[in-house]
Amino acid sequence: MPYHEFDCSKVIPERKQHAVVKGEGEDLTSCLPKGYLNTIPGSISERGCAYCGAKHVIGTPMKDVIHISHGPVGCTYDTWQTKRYISDNNNFQLKYTFATDVKEKHIVFGAESLLKQNILEAFDAFPEIKRMTIYQTCATALIGDDINAIADEVMAERPDVDIFVCNSPGFAGPSQSGGHHKINIAWINQKVGTLEPEITSDYVINYVGEYNIQGDQEVMQDYFKRMGIQVLSTFTGNGSYDDLRAMHRAHLNVLECARSAEYICDELRARYGIPRLDIDGFGFQALGDSLRKIGLFFGIEERAEAIIAEETARWKPELDWYAARLKGKKVCLWPGGSKLWHWANAIQEEMGVKVVSVYTKFGHQGDMEKGIARAGVGTLAIDDPNELEGHEALETLKPDVIFTGKRPGEVAKKKRVPYLNAHAYHNGPYKGFEGWVRFARDIYNAVYSPMHQLSGIDISKDDYATDKGFVTRRMLSDANLPEADRASPLTGYTGPFDPIAALRAKTDADYPQFERKTSTQAAE
Amino acid sequence: MAGFKKEKPASRANYPKLYASDPLAGFDEATREKVSAMEDYIMKNCLWQFNSRGWDRRKQNEGILGKTTKLLVGEEVENETPLEKCYWVDAVLLSRAFRARCAWLAGMGKDEVQALMKILHARIDWLTIDGSLNEELTVQNY
Repeated sequence: MPYHEFDCSKVIPERKQHAVVKGEGEDLTSCLPKGYLNTIPGSISERGCAYCGAKHVIGTPMKDVIHISHGPVGCTYDTWQTKRYISDNNNFQLKYTFATDVKEKHIVFGAESLLKQNILEAFDAFPEIKRMTIYQTCATALIGDDINAIADEVMAERPDVDIFVCNSPGFAGPSQSGGHHKINIAWINQKVGTLEPEITSDYVINYVGEYNIQGDQEVMQDYFKRMGIQVLSTFTGNGSYDDLRAMHRAHLNVLECARSAEYICDELRARYGIPRLDIDGFGFQALGDSLRKIGLFFGIEERAEAIIAEETARWKPELDWYAARLKGKKVCLWPGGSKLWHWANAIQEEMGVKVVSVYTKFGHQGDMEKGIARAGVGTLAIDDPNELEGHEALETLKPDVIFTGKRPGEVAKKKRVPYLNAHAYHNGPYKGFEGWVRFARDIYNAVYSPMHQLSGIDISKDDYATDKGFVTRRMLSDANLPEADRASPLTGYTGPFDPIAALRAKTDADYPQFERKTSTQAAE
Repeated sequence: MAGFKKEKPASRANYPKLYASDPLAGFDEATREKVSAMEDYIMKNCLWQFNSRGWDRRKQNEGILGKTTKLLVGEEVENETPLEKCYWVDAVLLSRAFRARCAWLAGMGKDEVQALMKILHARIDWLTIDGSLNEELTVQNY
């Protein structure tokens, strides 16, 4: 096994099994780090907790819901400024966050009455919202508060409300991934099958493992609607609580982030016979193939081809403009879970960059299998890295840019390595054809921004040239390009600052109207 | 509890091992090159081979590579259930990619293609199931 031992982790020998370098001739039977294990004592992990994974990743993107944490107020911190899973109802779920504010006296005397008071107050404060999710936290789990009993009491008293309870306290798993699992299973057990939806198309999907980061879901939903497909529910970005109760009526589960949401797809397949189709919404080739597959499943592939042709003609030249300028740039692909495999091959094939390292904070060995399979020889793969290992890898690999979360991203910035936010994005959406160009644009700006050169200067003491503080694009990225590329009138991204506004302005009249099949045709 | 819940067979994690070593190892250089080219495409572009549990991977590999073989040799593919249709969808994309990237397929006879796909199937089973280092493949629940 080609394990990699970090100098900084020699004092934690068990860490060696959590990093590998993919060598020539290595495959998944000889090159795979350990994964999804409890963080080794002594290693300062970048992971989140199981409560965070359940609430802040999967639960809270549901848009028409009061999301309430039963615990100390600090647990519910992540909201408006840290999460970018926007919604088309004025971001209700981001603007308002709720906690029962459990204190020491509640730990002694119990917090169930406090919980009930909070539930009623929250519904009274927002009378237009009739749906609620409640999240167990470490403190209230340990004192044995029965959230389900309180939720049942409230639903009996107020028949117009519906409440989902998620028992995933922070300690319930090695990482946030434990929480993903728990809320998947809790949702299908408690809520799926409790509401019958209106079916408006012959082609009905659940779009699963999609969190509408800066509008990703809305971009993909637009493609689906252009194909005449009904998105019955989205699990969970920009998703509606009641739509998600009706997941059992879809014909196909289209799965994007398998790491966080494969469990509900697998259970929907086992319990209701709905197939699971894994897709990649990132990258022209992968996205095109994804739309083709969905089209094929429903017998409407030509509708997918029309979209692919239109979007490719519009955006591919701009992607290629960036690809010419990003060729050979070294990338550390260090996201939380699924993007290490969603992006590893697509950015190399379509943007010309070289992935020198992949890591995952909370991924499982299955994620590393996908990531390592898609990465090239020499790639350093790290499971559950600690900050010192990140330092060491940056010094050894000398990447041109790093894609990661904001905490390790800030560390990278201190080392003057440009960073892009892999979780919440910089200027997303990144899904879709246009989104992929926006991602390329952000990578280009991260790699070439003059700020990174200037940031190394201490203007209080260094001697620096005052007439060379800024350099142009032609000096930075175009200097070594072939003449034809430099002379080309093409430019980078020409889309708007906010591409989502136009999608939200569309009405049903803006989408093709397809005739429904007769019952005989449908049976065939 | 809402919904219809099937009993889970307690034994489903005890799926039989098919290969104790790399099934590609004994073949000639030309065959290994062909299989490697197809394997490389699958590993870099597909996701179906990486479902989280070993018994699922066995079904996925069988379903998709089986239908891919039929498509490559021009046999009719029947999709009697939505699950079968889902395998077929991935098989269609895979067969197109193989035809586009593996020009030598066009010069092979039906039996040769079937034999080659059998080796590829064994190799993918080895990489993703029987030789896999993934310790979660035998977990009984999703």
